[in-house]
Amino acid sequence: MEEQTLTAGAAAGASEQFEPLILAFCCYWCAYAGADLAGTSRVQYPTNARIIRVQCSGMVHPNLVIEALTKGADGVLMIGCHPGDCHYLEGNLRAKSRADAISLMLEDFALEPERFRLEWVSAAEGPRFGQVMTEMIEQIRKLGPSPYRNS
Amino acid sequence: MPVRLAEEWFAICGGCEVTILDIGEPLLDVLEKVTIVHMPVLMDHKLYGQTGEGTEMEIPEAEVGMISGGIRSEEHRKLAQEMRKKCKTLIALGSCACYGGIPALANLYTTEEILNKVFRESVTTETNGLPNVDIPALTDRVYAVSEVVKVDVSLPGCPTTPEMVAGALTALLEGKPFPLPSKSVCDDCPTIREKKAASTLKRRLEPPEFTPGQPLNQMRCLMEQGFLCLGPATRTGCGGSDGTPRCIRAYMPCEGCFGPLSEKANPMVDMMGALSTIGLDPKQISDRAATFNRFAGAGRLRPIPRR
Repeated sequence: MEEQTLTAGAAAGASEQFEPLILAFCCYWCAYAGADLAGTSRVQYPTNARIIRVQCSGMVHPNLVIEALTKGADGVLMIGCHPGDCHYLEGNLRAKSRADAISLMLEDFALEPERFRLEWVSAAEGPRFGQVMTEMIEQIRKLGPSPYRNS
Repeated sequence: MPVRLAEEWFAICGGCEVTILDIGEPLLDVLEKVTIVHMPVLMDHKLYGQTGEGTEMEIPEAEVGMISGGIRSEEHRKLAQEMRKKCKTLIALGSCACYGGIPALANLYTTEEILNKVFRESVTTETNGLPNVDIPALTDRVYAVSEVVKVDVSLPGCPTTPEMVAGALTALLEGKPFPLPSKSVCDDCPTIREKKAASTLKRRLEPPEFTPGQPLNQMRCLMEQGFLCLGPATRTGCGGSDGTPRCIRAYMPCEGCFGPLSEKANPMVDMMGALSTIGLDPKQISDRAATFNRFAGAGRLRPIPRR
């Protein structure tokens, strides 16, 4: 199901104007609740992101991000709780050190560093969630499609 | 009738051939059942007839064929195809044949860059330009044997282990399959893991902490001690029946010679994940692509695009 939606989005983007495809890994306790709040408060932001709920940002293995970026996603967001607020105490610190490793690797895969971003959004920051999404999507729109999109 | 064995070597140091000899006493049992019909390292069997009278390259027919080394020149490619044609079962011997091995680190550069560096710009070597007489053309990159012809059995390792060679030959003689283990070196490693690094990355020259005489399961994981160990992204099996990985047995971190865990695995991503998960700083590793693909360059390493 998910795969179908993903490829449908990519195909539409290729034929018409470029519509970026973004994956957002959101942690259950903060970022996903933030997204929920953004929805219930009617915060407006572009619809290019596909949100994937994960239990903790610390469980997003670099494999997942690199695989997404090399298999058609134009950008990946990793969103977790603010440092110190992690439900699992240190999960977001692990996410931070993994994010550093991912940023380093983008270079090796000849991808722009802007295609991956780590953000902190708390459950009370609905508007901020919308803002982070808008920023990221606009940035990717300017960058253009990922070099891996059609390969 | 004894089983016929043909062996060829391509881009390799010859260490895996020594491993065959290193089988020791069990080799005597194997040799009783085997006749070697072609093996450049051991016998004087020429490809175009003994006096060069032949016009076609000839490798005698054999039940078992072994190839060590990656494919670096058109000659290697042709020989690999000829071996495949003449051998019923083909064994890729060693990491060079399985994944390109050390020679495949050259895949980080284009062939032109390599030739320039070695034959035109080297300041320490006097050369007269590119050698061009009776030399087969280089392939565009180093290939693993399995990228060029179908391989039935892969025996990785740098060098591969005598136990594996003997095991594979025995299995083949008995008509049994010889699958490789699918777990990682860490799964076979007895050291203590606490999932948190106790130090920053150290130079390899520093000694690891352990008490001499104590068994290995009293030693802290070498990666957590700060030594870059490729165990998490490397296939196990080097320990053989003993189980404990070879390098760990010598208090050294894994070099990754048994290659990645699966065909599609990307050891660099796996290793960066493993390093950052326990809190080591991957920025300290200067050449990530080469370090993490040290033995698996064929098909994985390519010239870094200049941006």
